[in-house]
Amino acid sequence: MSRKLLETDGREWVQKEIITETQREQLLALYPTDATAIGLLPLLGSLLVGLSALSVVAANWQGLPEVVRLALLLGSLCGAYAGGEYFRRRGNLNLGMGLIALGLILFGASIVLTSQLYQLIGYDLTGLLAWAVAGMALTWLYRSRLLFLMTAVISGIVQGYNTGQLGAFSYLTAIGTALGLGYYWWRRPDALLGGVLATGLLWQAALLINHLHVKITWFFIPAMLVYAFGDWQPDRPAGRALQGPPLVTAFLFTLGLALFGESDLYAGQLRAPLLPYLAALVAVLIVSVAGKRQRGRLGSLTDWLLLLPGFYFTGGLPLAIATLVVLYAYSGAVLLRAHQEQNPDRVTLGTVLFIITTAVAYFKLTWGFLDKSLFFLLGGLLLLGLSWWLRRRAAHTFSSSTPPKP
Amino acid sequence: MSTLPADSLPPVAGPAGGSIPVLPNDLPEPTRRRWVQWLVLAQVLFVLGVAAAGYATAALGRTVTLHTRPVDPRDLLYGDYVNLRYQVSELPGGLWRGSAMPRRHQPAYVLLEPQPDGTYEAVAAFPEKPAATGQQAVLRGSVQDVWRRGLRLRYGLERYYVPEGQGRQLERRQSLRVQVSIAPWGQARITGVEPADK
Repeated sequence: MSRKLLETDGREWVQKEIITETQREQLLALYPTDATAIGLLPLLGSLLVGLSALSVVAANWQGLPEVVRLALLLGSLCGAYAGGEYFRRRGNLNLGMGLIALGLILFGASIVLTSQLYQLIGYDLTGLLAWAVAGMALTWLYRSRLLFLMTAVISGIVQGYNTGQLGAFSYLTAIGTALGLGYYWWRRPDALLGGVLATGLLWQAALLINHLHVKITWFFIPAMLVYAFGDWQPDRPAGRALQGPPLVTAFLFTLGLALFGESDLYAGQLRAPLLPYLAALVAVLIVSVAGKRQRGRLGSLTDWLLLLPGFYFTGGLPLAIATLVVLYAYSGAVLLRAHQEQNPDRVTLGTVLFIITTAVAYFKLTWGFLDKSLFFLLGGLLLLGLSWWLRRRAAHTFSSSTPPKP
Repeated sequence: MSTLPADSLPPVAGPAGGSIPVLPNDLPEPTRRRWVQWLVLAQVLFVLGVAAAGYATAALGRTVTLHTRPVDPRDLLYGDYVNLRYQVSELPGGLWRGSAMPRRHQPAYVLLEPQPDGTYEAVAAFPEKPAATGQQAVLRGSVQDVWRRGLRLRYGLERYYVPEGQGRQLERRQSLRVQVSIAPWGQARITGVEPADK
């Protein structure tokens, strides 16, 4: 229940003698006003202050003696951490965490600026890696979602810099991010952090695939490993959030296959060596299925439809059509499960997926085969029919789940 | 969900409510504070270590002078640093002394020898660190590109952060002499840049 509801309707409840005035006050006391979960404002605030400090100092930077520059960097670094601790102790949690986040940003800035000061721009990653490690340690010490988010972003930056500028992939960074943040999320399941973690890991996986110059389909091995990890998470919403990004990429990929798959030139770009790829995919599938069984979520097995490696078939147009069928099956399954779970958000999601698929099918098929108006008619009828059937089903599920009282 | 693992954590009924299980900070406050102090100290020491490495490379290292190649002067000054390309950045393939062909991202150790004009030129490139005689110096780089007749290397010295006021002066020069200090442990840094035609 939200405080807002209590505030607006509470007096009415007192008037109707559902609760007494004291009870209303007691209830209000249970929901203090300051209950913001993520604290976006301190994040933005610390970012802006950090940037402004950076630009002021940067404008005069070259004119300052080296010792002063170093002292300035270390002084602001210590100041930010000390200030953060001070405000945390005084109970001002958001400001305190914002300052500690600023300290973390200043640590990164100090490493970069000190390296520039001494013209040290070697090809080793130690400096930036230390930044990510500091973020990880702070996340664990403060148990903070803000710091978790920053660490995920910093690790992504470190990896991006490493592959882009230094031309090497840091497995240490990738494994460190996966283990450090992954274990944190495992112990403290959280929907938002699940999405953040999965996005960060997928970013690094994409950098790895790009760096290795292998077929892009290999991306789905680490991506689905992240997905399978979500299957094992006991906390269902957090697990689903972790699985979101891998599913989005898989859906977009399948959509692309449906659009361009009939050109064998395109499908040929996707064919990783058959046996190793399938073996890896099946291994991940087994991990995922075991997790689903363990947590009693075998119904979500339909997600794996998106991973059917149809691109191995040199099918031309039939391949594109088969991919469309898979997309329809997937979005249909999402809709069906959403209705079984009585989850309106997922019904919306399923409908959107269904419409996207239909749009792709339109672009794919109408030009050659169907008259456009006929296609729209068919598509509309299909959607209407599906909605009618689902509603009937929902009504059925609802009536059977609440049997009439004797 | 049908089963719960032994380590599944019950949500704490807190005033913040919501569906997200929130764990109390299970680290005792004094312990946490002590760890934070250590962590901040480690960060300060790390930054000081970077500075110390810079000092030590210049103080204990051996200084060699390298020639840059002319670069399109419009691209030379980019922000507050200049991009440098050295004579030794591109080597003819004949200088490679490895048993196998060089590969991209492989480390390469370039043996430098002084020329009559005081600058250093590459005489050989090795996949492992070679022994150098008195006059010679070894600069570590990594292979960026390999083609039929040569290879391109990167030393991590391709960028020079220009001290105040020197930028305009460097910008118009086609060729520069760069002083590089190479520490005994292999780290290298630029200690000075001057126009070559003086």
